[in-house]
Amino acid sequence: MTSAELIAKLKERFGASVRGVSEINPNKVRVEVAPDSVAPVCEALYRDYGARFIITAGIDSRPERGCFDVDHVFSLDPDKTFVIVRASVPPDAPSLDSITPRVPAAYWAERELYDVVGVKAEGHPDPRRLIMPDDWPDDVFPLRKDVKHGDWPSLGEENADASYPWKPAPEGTSTVVVGPFFPVLEEPAQLRLYVDGERVIDCDYRGFYNHRGIEKMGDSALTYNEIPFIAERICGICGFIHSSCYCETAEEAMGIRAPRRARYIRSLMLEVERIHSHLLWLGIAGHIIGFDTVLMQAWRVREPIMWLCEKITGNRKTYGMNLVGGVRRDIPQEIQPELLEVVDRIEKETAAIIDAVVGDTVLKARLSGVGVLPEEKARELAVVGPTVRGSNLPLDARVDHPYAAYDEIPPKVITHPDCDNWARVVVRLEETIESIRWIREALKQMPDGPIMASDIPEEIPPEQWGVFVVEAPRGEAIHYVVTGGDNRPARWRVRAPTYQNLQALPYLIAQETIADVPITLGSMDPCFSCTERTEIVNVRSGESKVLDQQELLRLSREATERMRGR
Amino acid sequence: MNVITQALSAIPGALIAVIVLVGLAPLAEGLLRKLKAIVHSRQGPPILQPYLDLAKLLIKEDLAPCANWIWRMAPALCLGGTIVLALFTPIGGKPPFAFSGDLLVFIYLAAIPPIAIILGAFASGNPYAYVGGSREMMVMLSVEPVMSIALLVAAIKAQSLTFAGILERSAAEPSISMGVAGIAFLLALQAQVGKLPFDIPEAEQEIMEGPFIERSGPGLALFKWALHARLMIFTALLVSIFIPWPHVANAGLSLLLTLAKMAVVLALVGVVDVVNPRLRIDQSMAYYARIVVFVAVGALIFAIVGA
Repeated sequence: MTSAELIAKLKERFGASVRGVSEINPNKVRVEVAPDSVAPVCEALYRDYGARFIITAGIDSRPERGCFDVDHVFSLDPDKTFVIVRASVPPDAPSLDSITPRVPAAYWAERELYDVVGVKAEGHPDPRRLIMPDDWPDDVFPLRKDVKHGDWPSLGEENADASYPWKPAPEGTSTVVVGPFFPVLEEPAQLRLYVDGERVIDCDYRGFYNHRGIEKMGDSALTYNEIPFIAERICGICGFIHSSCYCETAEEAMGIRAPRRARYIRSLMLEVERIHSHLLWLGIAGHIIGFDTVLMQAWRVREPIMWLCEKITGNRKTYGMNLVGGVRRDIPQEIQPELLEVVDRIEKETAAIIDAVVGDTVLKARLSGVGVLPEEKARELAVVGPTVRGSNLPLDARVDHPYAAYDEIPPKVITHPDCDNWARVVVRLEETIESIRWIREALKQMPDGPIMASDIPEEIPPEQWGVFVVEAPRGEAIHYVVTGGDNRPARWRVRAPTYQNLQALPYLIAQETIADVPITLGSMDPCFSCTERTEIVNVRSGESKVLDQQELLRLSREATERMRGR
Repeated sequence: MNVITQALSAIPGALIAVIVLVGLAPLAEGLLRKLKAIVHSRQGPPILQPYLDLAKLLIKEDLAPCANWIWRMAPALCLGGTIVLALFTPIGGKPPFAFSGDLLVFIYLAAIPPIAIILGAFASGNPYAYVGGSREMMVMLSVEPVMSIALLVAAIKAQSLTFAGILERSAAEPSISMGVAGIAFLLALQAQVGKLPFDIPEAEQEIMEGPFIERSGPGLALFKWALHARLMIFTALLVSIFIPWPHVANAGLSLLLTLAKMAVVLALVGVVDVVNPRLRIDQSMAYYARIVVFVAVGALIFAIVGA
């Protein structure tokens, strides 16, 4: 079904509710609908036309058009098409019917919508905070244009003892608290497991303890060409994904495209990143189930590729290669033999690890049949990456929505029919080998030429938009850019893959044992937040004393003030 | 010979047992860490590192989450119980404290350290410790029967409830039942000493060392030392009873020979530890209740029919 056919169908079905269509190309359309028919339109897209929910972006368009725009982004994967459903809501007490009861995958996205833009999703089954801290004032929404970056409200005393409204523990269960500093994965997140003996009955999650407000920086403090460097810092493992995705999106919004060689270089670095990320993950997964030999060997095998990255880009990680319109560094001819040699060695050693892992009966017994996510549930929750491919659904942004050089060399999509932790392990292992094959192929076909576009416009008109997904090692990351004035976007929306995958966690671990929780979480390769910032407060000034919550908050805030003042 | 002289005569043997089984236990742990490091392609810590770890912990502050006397007593009970157990453990020859029925005393005493761990865990009030404690209990329940049956086979073959009698007999007369019982004991050893794939009660990545999550300083040191010593004690028992050959009369030579055989068994335990992921508690229970216990019962049947 092409987008034109889809829009014809929507118009036929919803009549005058479909108000207007904005199109970048036949594969990317934005449909404006009346606010009261957003929910039925989204439901029709999801149920009847096979669309997959990706993300919701709330945009404060009051300065331009006197309204809030709410964009629900959907993907029609087989047709390589994005459909964005837009509703404009009036600025006073903005609200919109929730689509979560009809499209369950929008569960977090609509909670975030209220948190950051203040558009209420009416009828949402769980309207708790998602992003902002518990003591954040109720009437400040940081992504509104009248909130200036850095000019944050002072967190007064009136909300000081606010705490997260956890789900009450079900009858007959006891609560095991994991976090807020999550052990094993060593990231800030809190999971409350409601357990009966060793069995998990239900759980509740609170994350975003380290929310860094990067989207706000993007639309109020940075320029188009500064954003790639900040985007790369969204994640410490797959940062290049985010800078590539942003650049492709911004290029689309500006109506340009990076030269072929630059696109090949992007893809090559993306695959290099996938290899090192999957090996890193394999080590951590081994460690989670107490198999430290896998950890040590996988990381030893991974190391040469980090050295190679340093040689190509100057950094082991966070390459700083991308700019809107191309890349900053070429991959020189003389480094290619070494690149090939390193991937050959990694292929050989990874194959040995795969043999050892796949042939390990104890390992298989430990992983099989645990954390089962059936196909239909995977589709309902709209999970991405190896998590969805482990549930036998061939979703891969490289093939579904080709970017960079993947339209010229499509990779093989690896799936596994088992739908459990074991399936997700096998998918990642095979993808590592596939990435190596892809790199060899790409080096053979890499064209010569410039690495930076020459037709970058001086002025970028506002109200242009672009959307891209990039297949990160953990699943697809999406960037959605709407251009604005001042040489920066009016809205830059980012969704990392873990955002969608984590929503499947309560389903995955229900009725499993505590012992299986870490590896089930680990099987999704979660990445809660990628830079920790720790503040150490010395409480032993002469005498030791017990700190209550108020006191801790005060100390923590004083420390923040000190850092600000510097 | 009166009771006092009898007791005095046991002192040298007792000292040797405590030095070998408890004093050298951290050294054995250090060697196992080195072995692990080799398989990991790492350099690994110095072999004497476990002594340094214990020394460091012993001089640190002992933080207590509660004023519960069971919680405070548990580490001492665990290490104390282990030291007493060492006095009843044969190392090639008869144990320092040998009398008729010492085998039964050993089986009873062997339960004290795990019970101390479980009590300490439950007393701490920490949910992770609680989970760890109940897992420890389940491991104990699945492993102790196997060990007891294996020892019972040895007792039946020797027609004796003393280690001295069993050692004499099993060295003189190899038999099928003793071989099978030895295998069952070896399979149970891995879980008895809490090595992978059976380090389920501690499971660092799941429940953060479980029973020991609230422990720090000297309390933790005593527990750790007791766990190191436990590995030595059960390895010594396995080697002495089920692999007694070649039998030498000289006590010193016999001790050295036993230590060499223990090193081989420890290396085996270490290799299994390093090439396996952790099982779930239900999988471990099923393994012992459905497979290993039948090996032990098989040995018992062989013993009864005289094989």
